[in-house]
Amino acid sequence: MERRDFFKKAAVVAGAAAVGSSTAEANLTHQPIDNRKVSTVAFPEKRPLIMYSDRPPLLETPREVFTSALTPNDQFFVRWHMPDIPTHIDPDTFTISVNGLVEKELKISLNELKTKFEQVEVTAVLQCGGNSRSAFTPIAGGIQWGSGAMGCATWKGVRLSDILDHAGLKRDAEWIGFNGSEKAAYYETPNFVRELHLDELDDHVILAYEMNGEDLPYLNGYPLRLIIPGTYSDSWVKMLSNITVTNKYKHLFFMDVAYRVPDNKCECETPQKKAPKTKPIRKMNVKSVIGYPTNGAKINNKSAVVVRGVAWDDGHGIQDVMISLDGGKTWDKALLDDGKLGRYAYRTFRYTFKPLEFGEKTIMAKAINKIGQEQPFDKEIKWNHGGYKYNGIDKVTVEVV
Amino acid sequence: MKKMILITVLLASSLFAQVKENIEVPYVAFPIKMGKGFDAVQANCLMCHSFGYIINQGRQSRQFWRGKVDKMIKHFKAPIDEKSAKIVTDYLFEHYGNNKEK
Ligand code: HEC
Repeated sequence: MERRDFFKKAAVVAGAAAVGSSTAEANLTHQPIDNRKVSTVAFPEKRPLIMYSDRPPLLETPREVFTSALTPNDQFFVRWHMPDIPTHIDPDTFTISVNGLVEKELKISLNELKTKFEQVEVTAVLQCGGNSRSAFTPIAGGIQWGSGAMGCATWKGVRLSDILDHAGLKRDAEWIGFNGSEKAAYYETPNFVRELHLDELDDHVILAYEMNGEDLPYLNGYPLRLIIPGTYSDSWVKMLSNITVTNKYKHLFFMDVAYRVPDNKCECETPQKKAPKTKPIRKMNVKSVIGYPTNGAKINNKSAVVVRGVAWDDGHGIQDVMISLDGGKTWDKALLDDGKLGRYAYRTFRYTFKPLEFGEKTIMAKAINKIGQEQPFDKEIKWNHGGYKYNGIDKVTVEVV
Repeated sequence: MKKMILITVLLASSLFAQVKENIEVPYVAFPIKMGKGFDAVQANCLMCHSFGYIINQGRQSRQFWRGKVDKMIKHFKAPIDEKSAKIVTDYLFEHYGNNKEK
């Protein structure tokens, strides 16, 4: 891509990227930045979303979308690492290669994927490990996302294990490397390659070509991407082009440096004293987000309001979502949906109440999973240098009029 | 299983992308501030990502911005010499700084 084009073709002014300087106290985690406006620009196959960058495209889903269990494809967040993304892929000639320590190297076309292997579906939450990063003070490394670097979709495709079985793993096979088609602009910049250990890859891992009953949108990884339910999305490689089986772990920037948290019990450290050892972020922790009402909304006194939102974890499943209207002193159970979309999906909740006083009212939501893990208050969450895994109790403040 | 087979047949006939031609990712003009050193920023910081990355960080200290420039050089192999690194850091601190050295 021509870098100069940035200036020549520049057509629209970005409004949403700027972050106000944080008013929060130093070293106290707080609510992520909220209410950023959606952009005036619509990206391909997307409605206007909160936009941080065009190259690579970084788009965040606004809070109000999180009232339903499935996030519409055209509002689903977008996150790439490299500026150079293929802008055209021919589904008739596209193939995915499987090579390395396999009995038989494969090149599988989309048509073969869709006809020669068992077709499976899973509904799973895709969340960036840095979702809500703007909650941390001092600022943690990376894009300062609000709460919308996530979504939930029904993914359809084939099991990775079926593909690997078809190729036949050699005895010493241990690591599986996944390459997407995004390319760095500079030849020495490390490319975005993920390596996963065989032990991490169970039958739930699929290569998906369909999202909510449609082809994957380009910006979500058309024509094929990896789905690893329950884990953060850094390994859900988009525009998957190659799978290589090896017996040796390669040291890669995006494996060894990025997407890691301190390897200690609290997964925390201080800016002055960083943890000596780190580990991959992997499994998602329990979290909820209120989709309605949103911050600053006006609601009517003595009129019933239905608070709605979504809750999820790494697949243990959501047990309860609790709501507090008094700053976290008392909590009351919200109603949950029937959970039919499965344990990796958003569980939607709703809670009806009638405000009886004029003025500001704060609504908090706290999810608890089936093994008793619950969301901490925002300020209890300790800092880590990459700003990963924020899961503070969600909070919106509305005005009762 | 029956359902699976049905789905398979249906899909085999709908093998096309929703977008058949090249997709066009729009170009966005980020409201980056002009000033001394901007030439160096333009020459060194636009190769791998948009100015959106810079603006999104909000106002930060000189040490923060120097750290980002160093991160680009060390981790992402950005070809930036020490002279340019200084100019870029000064620019970033001047326009996106919080007046704190650290
Ligand atoms: C050789 C490629 C390259 C160049 C040149 C480059 N960057 Fe980056 N930059 C990256 C990559 C890769 C990332 C991380 C991408 C991601 O995770 O989305 C990044 C991320 C960032 C971020 C986000 C915060 C963070 O810690 O990740 C900022 C701010 C940034 N760059 C500033 C700059 C500035 C200022 C310059 C010019 C001095 C620059 N970059 C030049 C590759 C580059």
